[in-house]
Amino acid sequence: MDIQNTQSQMRKGVLEFCILSVIRQGEVYPSDIVDKMKAANLHILEGTLYPLLTRLKNAEYLTYRWVESNSGPPRKYFVMTDKGLAFYSELEKTWKELADAVQALTQPIENHQNQL
Amino acid sequence: MKKVININFQGRVVPIEENAYDILQKYVDSLKKYFANEEGKDEIINDIESRIAELFAETLKKGSTCISDDDVNNIINSMGRPEDFDGEEEKVKTQLGTEEKTNNTNQQQAAFTSNVNRRLYRDENNKVLGGVCSGIANYFGIEPLIVRIIAVVIFGIFFIPYLILWVAVPSSATQVIGSVRKRLFRDTDDKIIAGVASGLGHYFGVNPWIPRILFLIPFLSFVTRWSSWGMFDFPHFVSLSFSPGATILYIILWLILPEAITSADKLEMRGERVDLNSIKQTIQTDMEGFKNRAEKFGEELKHKAEAFSKDFTPKAQQFGNETAYVAKKASRGFGDVIALIAKIFAYFILAVVLFSIVAALFAVGVTFIGLSPAAEYIINDGWQSVFAWGSLLLFIWVPIIGIITWIIRRIIKAKNNNIMRYSFVAIWLVGLFCTLGLAVSLRNDFRYKSAPNEQQFALNNPTVNKLEVHLSGGKYFTDKKTFKIEPFHFLEDDTVYVPNTRIRIVRSANDSFQVSVLKVSNGFSKQQANNLAEKIEYGISQKDTILSLYKGIPINKDDKFRNQRIIITITVPLGKKIKIDEKIGWHNDVHIGFNDDNWRWRGDYSEDGEYYWESDKEYIMTEKGLERTNKSAFEDEDNNSDNLEKYKRSREELEREIEEQQREIEEKKRELQRSLEDKQRELELKKNELNKEIDTVTRYKYQKAVADSKQKDKKNKCSSNDLTELSSRVYMLQVAG
Repeated sequence: MDIQNTQSQMRKGVLEFCILSVIRQGEVYPSDIVDKMKAANLHILEGTLYPLLTRLKNAEYLTYRWVESNSGPPRKYFVMTDKGLAFYSELEKTWKELADAVQALTQPIENHQNQL
Repeated sequence: MKKVININFQGRVVPIEENAYDILQKYVDSLKKYFANEEGKDEIINDIESRIAELFAETLKKGSTCISDDDVNNIINSMGRPEDFDGEEEKVKTQLGTEEKTNNTNQQQAAFTSNVNRRLYRDENNKVLGGVCSGIANYFGIEPLIVRIIAVVIFGIFFIPYLILWVAVPSSATQVIGSVRKRLFRDTDDKIIAGVASGLGHYFGVNPWIPRILFLIPFLSFVTRWSSWGMFDFPHFVSLSFSPGATILYIILWLILPEAITSADKLEMRGERVDLNSIKQTIQTDMEGFKNRAEKFGEELKHKAEAFSKDFTPKAQQFGNETAYVAKKASRGFGDVIALIAKIFAYFILAVVLFSIVAALFAVGVTFIGLSPAAEYIINDGWQSVFAWGSLLLFIWVPIIGIITWIIRRIIKAKNNNIMRYSFVAIWLVGLFCTLGLAVSLRNDFRYKSAPNEQQFALNNPTVNKLEVHLSGGKYFTDKKTFKIEPFHFLEDDTVYVPNTRIRIVRSANDSFQVSVLKVSNGFSKQQANNLAEKIEYGISQKDTILSLYKGIPINKDDKFRNQRIIITITVPLGKKIKIDEKIGWHNDVHIGFNDDNWRWRGDYSEDGEYYWESDKEYIMTEKGLERTNKSAFEDEDNNSDNLEKYKRSREELEREIEEQQREIEEKKRELQRSLEDKQRELELKKNELNKEIDTVTRYKYQKAVADSKQKDKKNKCSSNDLTELSSRVYMLQVAG
């Protein structure tokens, strides 16, 4: 059992959810997603982000519009669709359950003390 | 000085260094390969390209005149390379620690030294020939010099692996930009041992069975030797038939080649065709400047050697930090190498040991099965036979199956299965218990020895001059269908005949032959042993000079074999002869003893004679003991004088022969000389004749020439005559006209 592999698996699971939650807050440019995630201390390579966005877009969870840029080619700004929102809320529900479960499992002693 | 070109990138004109452009081009190519199977790959690549274009624009805005190598590398590092995508999270973690030092060289070094992303590359920055050695050194984190020295020392073995690694291992130059070139991987999806052969197959674009067979060829001789192979004949196996070259190469490749895990790896593995041209190119580019680098390396070697010698001579106590560092590093490197070699060696030894265990157990197991028809003559029903079967199946066959299963599982890399392992061990322990039980109960059954029970066998005609001991009774049990297991040679329907007999020959006190039979047996009690000894029915008969011994002691299933044995004592009177048939000598112990009444046998040598007993030879009883009647050479002292004479005679004969031959040679010489002289004479004669002939020829020619000239003169005269005639005719005609 490789610890790095396990860690990577754990991160990968929540990556999509995190990206979606950034996009949910409003129209966003991919490099902004990277910056925001970096600010939250969750690092992602742009090379990994683009295929993920394309996949989500092809699944109709996201849509984008072109915005002219004064520094370079026109930019793609991504925004969430209704379908994406439903998908996101499902994920959020799962995440909350998961977080609670993990919380409950990792802090059994504290809980016990609280009950007392 | 660098060349700058303008490119149209995502609809914009970008001034970029030519080198940087190449890097960018290769990066985009690698992305295309990585996303080749992805739905919407064009869009992904387009997105990434436009992001890169944006970053370019930012760089140019800051005031750069063009895009440089570093700019491109930085951008690539922040975007990530295909090989980083899959293992991305790990990288994130390491980056968190080192706060994003995305410097190019750092990256490269990280690839060399970090455990996560370690791969074998040829080191472009520190190479002598192809950079293979320094690449290996980097891979193992040891001093390149050590690898080089080892490589030079074992040049013979390392030569071919070097060439293969040179061609197949990517250079660190290509690594920086996400290599496009094909790379050599182990293909674990299509593996038999470790996927080395199939990886090579992918690399050279051939069927993986071709490298596999190439690896196997050296082993074929090993397989063909199998038949002539003794069961424990390991030196053969290790030295001759085992080809170290192929195995070492395989092990090196196994250790060094990365497994193709990610899809990027797999793409690279199948990548661009490697043909002669690309190999040539690799080698050509590397050969450029080889001389300089070699000189540099020589220099370096010299320095280091000096440093080493300084290090090891007690005089030079003040060596600098530098040398100490190098020495320390070197010793660590040596340690690593030795550890590696030890590891390989250990695996090899382990393989040999496992193989020998399996082979030995297999032999024992098969032997037991071969013995099984005889088993019911030894083993009691009930617990003992249960133990016997338990021993055979669980103690012997289970480990064979276990080891083979383990090896196969290791080879196919199946996960360790503890349940299976423990159940194997448990079953084997049951087997061990059975074996111990069997051993103990058999030992009990054989525990007591019967009291000696000697009977005289009355000979019909004890005063014959010569006694020949023969074997009677038929067929051998040992045909080729079953294994030959002593002492069960003869097996009939319900009786087994055990040739557990010994023959003792002693001198008789009177002038008649005497034969006595001593019956002995073992048993679980003294009583049973005596019983069994008494029950032995052994057939002896005499007819004239022939004493027939039966082929063995009959043992039936009820009484079992409890080491029933008989000792036949034949007393031979002085001056009388005895001969023991070969068949008896073959299947029984024959001992010649005199004063030994303790029933203890001392090998096949008699007490005083020190000569070897041979069956099928006639012996005569003398005062000194038994002696061969037909003495051959080198038997004893009496013979020696004979031998000397023989030698003398033979020597004389030889001398005579030599003389004769010399005479012959001389005669031949003389003959040859005579013939030579004859020939010479003949030659001279011929010469003279030829000379004569030449004389006649010249004379003839001269005569002919003279005759010719005379004839010519005549002709000339004729023609002049004709002319005058003609002219006179003309004249006459004119006159007439």
